[in-house]
Amino acid sequence: MSGFDAALTAEAADLLYREAWHLDSRDWAAWLALYSEDAIFWAPAIAGEEGFSGDPDNDVSLIYLDRAGLEARIFRIEGRDSFASAPLPHTAHVVGNVRAAETKGAEIEVSATWLVNSFRRTDPPILRAGRYAYTLRRTAAGLAIARKTVYVLDDRIVGPIDIFNI
Amino acid sequence: MTGASAQSLVDDRPGDGIFRVRRAAFVEPALFERELERIFQRCWNYICHDSQVRERGQYVRGSIGRYPVFAIRGLDGEIRCFHDSCPHRGSMLTRGRSGVQPTITCRYHGWAFNADGRCIRVRGRDAGYSREALERLGTDLKPVARVASYRGFVFASLDPDVEDLETFLGGARPFVDLMADQSEEGMEVLKGESTYVMRANWKLQTENSTDGYHVATVHRNFAHTVRQREALAGEADDARARTEASRILDLESISSGGYDMGNGHMINWSDRGSPESAPLNEARGAIAARFGEGKARWMIDRGRTVTIFPNFFLNDVASTCIRLWRPVAVDLTEIDTWCLAPIGESAAARRARIRKYEDFFLPSSIAVPDDVRAMEVAHAGSLAAGGEAWNDLALGYATMVEGADDAARELGAAPLHSNPGRESETPFYAFWREWRRRMDGP
Repeated sequence: MSGFDAALTAEAADLLYREAWHLDSRDWAAWLALYSEDAIFWAPAIAGEEGFSGDPDNDVSLIYLDRAGLEARIFRIEGRDSFASAPLPHTAHVVGNVRAAETKGAEIEVSATWLVNSFRRTDPPILRAGRYAYTLRRTAAGLAIARKTVYVLDDRIVGPIDIFNI
Repeated sequence: MTGASAQSLVDDRPGDGIFRVRRAAFVEPALFERELERIFQRCWNYICHDSQVRERGQYVRGSIGRYPVFAIRGLDGEIRCFHDSCPHRGSMLTRGRSGVQPTITCRYHGWAFNADGRCIRVRGRDAGYSREALERLGTDLKPVARVASYRGFVFASLDPDVEDLETFLGGARPFVDLMADQSEEGMEVLKGESTYVMRANWKLQTENSTDGYHVATVHRNFAHTVRQREALAGEADDARARTEASRILDLESISSGGYDMGNGHMINWSDRGSPESAPLNEARGAIAARFGEGKARWMIDRGRTVTIFPNFFLNDVASTCIRLWRPVAVDLTEIDTWCLAPIGESAAARRARIRKYEDFFLPSSIAVPDDVRAMEVAHAGSLAAGGEAWNDLALGYATMVEGADDAARELGAAPLHSNPGRESETPFYAFWREWRRRMDGP
């Protein structure tokens, strides 16, 4: 990220914290409402020893979803018919090291780190960690998420990965 | 149960129409050790696809049972497989799970090898070692006994006397060809890999890979979820981008089947309700011209899982997947998955293939996590009463026929037995007969 803007960082951090809170509270509608209509949610896959996959149209990603894809994930979660995700684990997101800067196109670039702990009685606890890269856009209703990139650092994945536990 | 023979665990009485497997086969630790020795150390084991070792010095780490190995393309262009172990004091030599190392240097004491496996440096050789000592200890990398490639799929075996790879693949070869022949330019493994963990016995993955019976129950959620997404996204999308869900939800309206291809290999297939959703559909004309209409039908209109004994499969249903499951412990399996794609396909087909692969085959997808859960629960439940209960694989026995069915004849394939219908357990007999033969054999 090129610059750093303290006021903008505080505003962006508030959005990231609210997003994490909605996921941990399972308030899926409030969570989705943070995303713009043309939003992309992208979790690249590991590629080689130190890198991640790149172009989502040529490389495999862990998750690459548009808004309809995100809505369908909520449909899957709320339907409680997925063997892997019913009952849902309890999650706690910790988001830190947030830094934001405005870019030329009036969009806001945000970087952050994350930890998610997941607990379910039948499984061992799962701790995951990674980095976020967001593109936020200013709208009449406040900041919206236009793009979220989630770098998942685990290269040996234990338990299912879904939008609520990364 | 510790001393149980595989014979007593597989109750195979063709005359009486009975085929049962005792659940101890999945959960008994002593059997697991025996499997490593009797099956993995003697069998052909899938290591990598040749597109992953294109360059000289490019390597992929692998394993044969618990033994670490790696495949590497030599300076002469040949793919070799070596024990991932320095001849000096045993250190693993590969630095990562894949990469390019034209010179392989042991990080511990600095011995170095070229990509053909020849030792090119023993540090302090002249001062510290006598010629006799160097000859005795053998300084070159130790090759895995046998390496062979079939249509780009590289296998290795620790057994110098193993049958030829083509003989081993046997009746499954026409189905492997259906993956290999999708482009005249060849096939490639796409960038972006995934390894995930299953807390269950490896054989549950082998069974599940060819089990059509779970699809309508475990994966109905996948089908409903993609239908929901497609409804939300509207009708504008390219047909290729749509996921063909009728094979999951409307089984009675399509043809499907299962085969025993011999040597433990199993096939499960279903017609696609809408072949235009197959990314390969754009190549239909070229494929039919090269291979004939029958093979084109198999490649494009039918989805297939090709499960190769003991732990490898090619899946061409929602997308094209290579999966390998590694036995770590009796109740722990590590699973590697890659997307295999035709070189030269259109950008739209490539994009659709990747999206559909992500939908189904990853631990972050909306299908594989449900499979993993199903297998973990099956393992946990099989511990009941010490695994003494039987899995009675009776489903579909009445509809099983000897030899080929019409679909198999169309491909020129020769199953030992066929079943018209995906929801049968009779293809499992292939696996369990081979498992028993190897476990109880000399």
